[in-house]
Amino acid sequence: MSFTEKDKILARVQKPTRYTGGELNSVKKNPAQVQVRFAFCFPDVYEIAMSHLGIKILYHILNKREDTYCERVFAPWTDMEMQMRERNMKLFALETGDEITHFDIVAFTLQYELSYSNVVNMLDLADIPIRTSERTENHPFVCAGGPCAYNPEPLAEIVDFFMMGEGEEIINEITDVYIQWKQNGKGERKKYLKEIAKIEGVYVPSFYDVEYNEDNTIKSFTPNNPNAKPIITKRIMRDFDEAYAPESIIVPFGEIIHDRVMLEIFRGCIRGCRFCQAGYVYRPVRERKVQTLVSLSEKLLSSSGYDEISLSSLSTSDYRGLKELTDALLELTQKEKIGLSLPSLRIDNFSLELMNKVQKVRKSGITFAPEAGTQRLRDVINKNITEENILDSVKMLFRGGWANVKLYFMIGLPTETMEDVEAIAHLAQKVLGVYFDIPKDERAKNINITVSTSSFVPKPFTPFQWEAQNTRDMLVEKQKRLKGAITSRKIRYNWHDSKTSYLEGVFARGDRRLGEVLIAAQKKGCKFDGWDEHFDFEKWMSIFKECGINPDFYNMRKREYSEILPWDHINVGVSKEFFIRESEKAKKAVTTANCREKCAGCGASVFNGGVCYE
Amino acid sequence: MSNYVLKYAKGDAVKYISHLDFMRTFSRAVRRSKLPMVYSQGFNPHPIMTVALPLSVGVTSEGEYMKIGFDGDFSPDEIIQRLNASLPDGLCILDVKKAEGKEMDFSKIDRAKYLVDIELKLDISFDIDEFLKNDELVVLKKSKSGEKEDNIRPYIYSMNVDKKEGKMVTISMCLAAGSIYNLKPDTVILAMEKYIDGFAVEFFSVHRLCLLAGQIQYM
Ligand code: SF4
Repeated sequence: MSFTEKDKILARVQKPTRYTGGELNSVKKNPAQVQVRFAFCFPDVYEIAMSHLGIKILYHILNKREDTYCERVFAPWTDMEMQMRERNMKLFALETGDEITHFDIVAFTLQYELSYSNVVNMLDLADIPIRTSERTENHPFVCAGGPCAYNPEPLAEIVDFFMMGEGEEIINEITDVYIQWKQNGKGERKKYLKEIAKIEGVYVPSFYDVEYNEDNTIKSFTPNNPNAKPIITKRIMRDFDEAYAPESIIVPFGEIIHDRVMLEIFRGCIRGCRFCQAGYVYRPVRERKVQTLVSLSEKLLSSSGYDEISLSSLSTSDYRGLKELTDALLELTQKEKIGLSLPSLRIDNFSLELMNKVQKVRKSGITFAPEAGTQRLRDVINKNITEENILDSVKMLFRGGWANVKLYFMIGLPTETMEDVEAIAHLAQKVLGVYFDIPKDERAKNINITVSTSSFVPKPFTPFQWEAQNTRDMLVEKQKRLKGAITSRKIRYNWHDSKTSYLEGVFARGDRRLGEVLIAAQKKGCKFDGWDEHFDFEKWMSIFKECGINPDFYNMRKREYSEILPWDHINVGVSKEFFIRESEKAKKAVTTANCREKCAGCGASVFNGGVCYE
Repeated sequence: MSNYVLKYAKGDAVKYISHLDFMRTFSRAVRRSKLPMVYSQGFNPHPIMTVALPLSVGVTSEGEYMKIGFDGDFSPDEIIQRLNASLPDGLCILDVKKAEGKEMDFSKIDRAKYLVDIELKLDISFDIDEFLKNDELVVLKKSKSGEKEDNIRPYIYSMNVDKKEGKMVTISMCLAAGSIYNLKPDTVILAMEKYIDGFAVEFFSVHRLCLLAGQIQYM
């Protein structure tokens, strides 16, 4: 009998169940009996990582294969990292507790730019060389996917290859090729990369050369390998109804952010809000059938034991079978005392009735996202919601017994003036007015309005990809102005710090030269940048300086349509011509109809599926 | 509705789950087993489950007890089989009894037996009986209301060194437990460090063997 280092470490850290695995429905295999040991990494802490739907799908897809063991690897929280570094313990996988240093494939999912420093830190903790060029035959292949991979360039020096788009099929294809490579005695890493470069959706950054102009913009971007495609097109599951969905999910011991069954009802979004990357990169919209969803819910609930189920999509109200689906789910949930949650619902008579059925007595807060204060600016961003819509909806809510309203806005949007900012306060004031106009005995008690603003960050693959981000001074000025314009005590104002948005903006539209910055930042201890308590803005600024890189070049600069963008070699289906068209319409505050009203010819119909062919 | 007392084990794989996590994990397992759980009344119905003496985080056990109500009559075997098929690895139902009247009252529990594995900083020899000859063992004891100096000697019913190999020692102990006085092995180890010369602990782990009502094992 003796104690292991891990025993001793775990007794000293917060929430040790973040590191022990063994949860219900986690997969157990004998690692000696597989060909491929796969580390699926989410560069954030357990509770965040386990709330993510994509990881659950891919984990089970890979583990369906007999020749592969996919394990989960998350970023150890800082207390754990300290213990690990002190005792020379390397990053390990949750299922077996084995170090991932010599696994076959290490895959990261990139959900937000502020997790990049964690990617580098996790590689360092795993004792895997940070740079692609430093890895040998004995090191794993490091790959990445997820929404941020659509601009892969900041990680081009670090990640061996990227997978563009939905991972359900491509992840199997690259694993198949890996097994061949291994069975042929491995050898040069390049041999494997050359082979997978042929697969649709695979991007191998080292197979491309970049030249820069004197003004630091990109001069040329050229393949240097015969197998490297000039344009890499994302993958999608054309028939989403048929796409694999796990029937059992891992149930964590400790509480996570989304501690419930999540039912993905459709992918994509018909709306086309011009600031929203998700609205474009997931096109076209593809739905699952009601029967498919109902039978999936039954299986997921009984295999997990969860007492709550939530619909998951970018906009619940746009699901065409919503009434049918919720009727069926309500029957199921009421019988089994299961909670049903319906995020991102548009407020109308139908949804109000629905919420009344679901929420019974409790009346929690309702969220609206007008995103901008004036109709003009809402037209610029193509947020098709009018003041009248909002005021009608809150009237219904207040009469229906709700008194807790949250209003979400963005500041720093293109063409925004101080007038637009102040209009946010006026809109909140009007919402309050609606409340007071309702006779006392017909409205809910204790009105509570919360206005929240986040700072707009221009993203690749949106009509605003050429725009300059507001300076921090400007954003702070706008926050102040808004705060001053809110006079009622019934309205609370929350804003998000603009410093993190600044860094997010740099990496969102960054190029290859930022790789050095990331590597330097990890050495200086940057990690968990998405967490306010860890984010160190001054440190980042000094690192940019040391690396001789001006971050303003990436986020504060307005670009010409003719400029070669770092992500131009990636094709998400939606064309650059469409984005230019949309950008011009935005300048004129002209809206675009949604996919179901009228196809705008965005280009995503090349995938031959979904809403484009309904 | 019938009430049952379940005896269960909490193994290494789940020793770090907190009491709250355990309750959540257990009620999900009951859902999975499709045994008809009884819920409390009110706005926010929750399953009715009572644990005799919640374990501290990091402690394993082969003698935990819980009371739970099911809608209907089930044989102990069926309950054991259905729950064990639904629980995650590390949690295991060992025994089930129907609880009628007051005879299975948790308040009767007044002591617990533990096995404590200790890694000493230095390989020293010591005499546990000498340690127990102290009339007073005063240490800082944590409780819900804070920390205070307390004489824990009256609450140590027995201690025995089961095994000693170099720095590794296994000690079994029977200590007061329950609502009247609850003494944790951690506190006893503090006392050993204070009262035994050279006794310095590098690391230790605790395993609960059983709960007792007087001299009699609870179930
Ligand atoms: S091609 Fe038309 S219908 Fe299809 S996603 Fe684009 S705009 Fe929508």
